[in-house]
Amino acid sequence: MYFIEQFSNWKFYLVGAYPAGSMGGLLLNIVLAAIALSLSFFFAIILGCGRLSPKKYIRYPFGWFIDIVRSTPLLMIVFWFYFFLPYLLGEHVTVFGSAAFALVVYGASYQAEIVRAGILAVPRGQMEAALTVGLSKYQAMRYIIMPQAFKIMLPSFISFFVSLFKDTSIAYIIGVIELTQSGVIVSQRQPDRIYAAYLCVALGFWTVSYSISRFATSLEKRLGTIDLWRFSLVPGKR
Amino acid sequence: MIKFINVYKKFKEECIPLNNVDLSIAKGQVVVVCGPSGAGKSTLLRVIPRLEAIDRGEIIIDGLSVTNSRANLAKVRSEIGMVFQQFNLFPHKTAIQNIMLAPMKVRGLTRKQANKKAMALLERVGLVHKAGNYPSQLSGGEQQRIAIARSLAMEPGIMLFDEPTSALDPELIQEVLDVMISLAREGGMTMIVVSHEIGFAKKVADRVLFMDNGVILEDGSPHEVLISPKHQRARDFMSNVLHVRDDLREENATFLN
Repeated sequence: MYFIEQFSNWKFYLVGAYPAGSMGGLLLNIVLAAIALSLSFFFAIILGCGRLSPKKYIRYPFGWFIDIVRSTPLLMIVFWFYFFLPYLLGEHVTVFGSAAFALVVYGASYQAEIVRAGILAVPRGQMEAALTVGLSKYQAMRYIIMPQAFKIMLPSFISFFVSLFKDTSIAYIIGVIELTQSGVIVSQRQPDRIYAAYLCVALGFWTVSYSISRFATSLEKRLGTIDLWRFSLVPGKR
Repeated sequence: MIKFINVYKKFKEECIPLNNVDLSIAKGQVVVVCGPSGAGKSTLLRVIPRLEAIDRGEIIIDGLSVTNSRANLAKVRSEIGMVFQQFNLFPHKTAIQNIMLAPMKVRGLTRKQANKKAMALLERVGLVHKAGNYPSQLSGGEQQRIAIARSLAMEPGIMLFDEPTSALDPELIQEVLDVMISLAREGGMTMIVVSHEIGFAKKVADRVLFMDNGVILEDGSPHEVLISPKHQRARDFMSNVLHVRDDLREENATFLN
């Protein structure tokens, strides 16, 4: 019953005080994830390609950066930028800003490895064929390697997207009023409704994550109709 | 003209695919390279567009060194066509898109010009009706003919064939060889073909090379190298290649009788 009753707070869970006050709740998680995903995706391509560079002075620094971030807990990265960014850019950096920044750095490093694996999974002969017809290395990457690599990367990207969306809940720790924080606030106001409040939080995350995965599955099926020659992702199914 | 000057390449210890190779191939010559596996035949081809770097020596094409670090590689490569054993068509593009890509991106042709050129090439390899198919919808022989057309689209002066028929079903080999034979007969194009298709060599080759352990052992007319090679190693190889064929023929004959 308490759980049903919680739905009277639905607006607080979904959008926080928005539009009258500041944005919060699940909407904030979605916005945070959208920013983190789009920016980190862009940087991941740069990082991933950098790590594959034949030049040592490019490859090594990119590799170090990726490895350092990947071997640090997300919580540490969030804390670190929470304290470091205001120091660097001034006090006007919001908690939302530092959370987004941390998630971009984290997401970019993880996705860089997906990018790298995807590029390496394209048969070597493709690059050779592209070069011998006279394409430059950049053109070969742009028109031949990347389109094939993206199809290989797609499943990994989507599962990372889902997990990054859930990871936005960690922004709670530095005081971003997102869905988890909303649950905490409600449960503090009504201590006897703790279970119900957290159940609502779980429901919110589940709904969005599940929708992304469903959408992803249908997207993969649709793209799967473009046959990719011999490295079809499902054996026997072309 | 392609000139190898003292070219040396080593992969690891005891694996020297090119051991001080000196070679000069005149413009328009059709050269067939044969030899046992691991002899360095493929490497001999792959160092020309610098898909592999060499350790020592120099390779000169039409007076320009391609091994020089300042060489304009994209320019050099666009003058050289290469056909691979595994076809290496671009799987996300249709047959005609495979052919059109480089002329548009490298030579700056418009879509219309590139399309016209591609259709002419498809006609030449007899695959106009497959223009819109993806590589996965084509047989091995068809894929290889598209790959040849893709190389020809750049109008290269040199065509390199790296075992173009080795990955094909026996019944599909001839259609690819026919395209290559017509190319060779047309003349004007330097062709280097790594292949064990003795029939092809006999028909159109101006010159046959036999390689073993990174060294060119035999170099001469098809008759000299295939029928009466000077070295024992080459003689053994030739008799093996030719004998297998004879045995098969006999077997088939008995089977058919």
